[in-house]
Amino acid sequence: MGETESVEGRPLDEQELVEQARGGDARAYAVLVRRYQDLAFRTAFVIAGGSADAEDAAQEGFVKAWYALPRFRAGSPFRPWLLAIVANEARNRRRSGRRRDDLALRVAEDRPSGDAAPSPEAAALAGEQRKLLLDAVGRLGENDRQVIACRYFLELSEAEMAAALGCRPGTVKSRLSRALDRLRAAMAEPGPLAAAPDARQGGDR
Amino acid sequence: MSHRELGLEGALADLAAALEFPPTPDLAAAVTARLGEAPAAAPAPPSPAARARRWLAGLAGWRRLAAAGLAVVLLAAAVLVASPGTREAVARRLGLRGIGVELGGPPPPTVTTTPGGRLELGLGDWVTLEEARRRVAWPVLVPATAGLGQPDAVYVNEAVPSGGRVDLVYRARPGLPPSPFTDVGLLITEFQGQPTPEFLKKVTVMGVVEQVTVGGEPGYWFSGEPHFFTYRDAAGTLREEQTRLAGNTLIWQRGDLTLRLEGELPKEEAIRIAESMR
Repeated sequence: MGETESVEGRPLDEQELVEQARGGDARAYAVLVRRYQDLAFRTAFVIAGGSADAEDAAQEGFVKAWYALPRFRAGSPFRPWLLAIVANEARNRRRSGRRRDDLALRVAEDRPSGDAAPSPEAAALAGEQRKLLLDAVGRLGENDRQVIACRYFLELSEAEMAAALGCRPGTVKSRLSRALDRLRAAMAEPGPLAAAPDARQGGDR
Repeated sequence: MSHRELGLEGALADLAAALEFPPTPDLAAAVTARLGEAPAAAPAPPSPAARARRWLAGLAGWRRLAAAGLAVVLLAAAVLVASPGTREAVARRLGLRGIGVELGGPPPPTVTTTPGGRLELGLGDWVTLEEARRRVAWPVLVPATAGLGQPDAVYVNEAVPSGGRVDLVYRARPGLPPSPFTDVGLLITEFQGQPTPEFLKKVTVMGVVEQVTVGGEPGYWFSGEPHFFTYRDAAGTLREEQTRLAGNTLIWQRGDLTLRLEGELPKEEAIRIAESMR
């Protein structure tokens, strides 16, 4: 994702780019946007549930982050900070009450199976089984679905997950663990899963 | 971690490798274009605001800021109002022309209590009233009703919509009952833009909005069941929003400004406050 992009021909690391952007350098900021747009868009997609909302949220998030840069703590990690802003935009759009295709991701049909020696569990999960699993994830409550998607589909760090989900970093692990429990139950008993995850997870604050 | 858990996690990792996300749009171009819309560097906000914005770490300051924070979020949803149970209303969004209101639909989402759901940057910058006035080109109006005093918090977003938007938050106080969800007593939003004729028609047909006059100019008083509303954004896309804030809503015009006032207020009181704005 653009790790080799540079300003003035010189590769810049994230901190340098952030510093330049803080100083008002829109070109440096554009490099950051390109670098993180996949991450931002996909995170927004997981939370908002639709690509139009995700695009809106990611774009709005980047614009707001630009104006918020003067308040960014120098030296702290940029990704969680950005994700917090983008995810909030996505949540705001999700709250709009519009119907959406939750986690309407597709499983690639013909993924070249060049991976050598997958784990036995993973190997067993070809095609149909991947769909079943995705289906089960889709039947989870919103919070469970999001924490699983953030961890496994977006491969976010704990700090990034906390930022994206709007919870304290200390609660991420237990949230994920509960979500996996419910996913396991959903896999065991196909069909509608008991709802009300929001109420259950209200203790995160 | 149990064997079974490793198995499930392995399966999720396997699934992740086979997942296809929708293609990422080119955000850099769109974002860069929008950075030019507003003045360069945003001045630093007052320090309580900075504290409030750190929403992940902001739990300590939360109680004090709860009122404003919740309001922030509700507005951040880019919209406006609808209400629980008996009354309430709707309005519009971000200075974009065109709003429609529809009755019904699913109940509004519950206001979340997670920290991430509350304080965030969506409303704009938390600034002083003077700062807000410096940052938008139009005159920011403030109610002069006796006893109301100055707003407890002021937010400005000069980038969205075009022309900017200012929000005034008043905490509940004698004469300003709190909403059932927050201790916000009054929320006033100002932006440039006008409801479309389409909007007016819908409102009239449904009969849930009353046409009123505010200082000689047209206004609308919303009360009743939770509403859906639609609006047309800057790109011309029709969008649908639904959110809630307790209380009734008055929307009115003053020149090329559209103003919106929300609170648990009777109509006459809302209009009195609206007319006092200068």
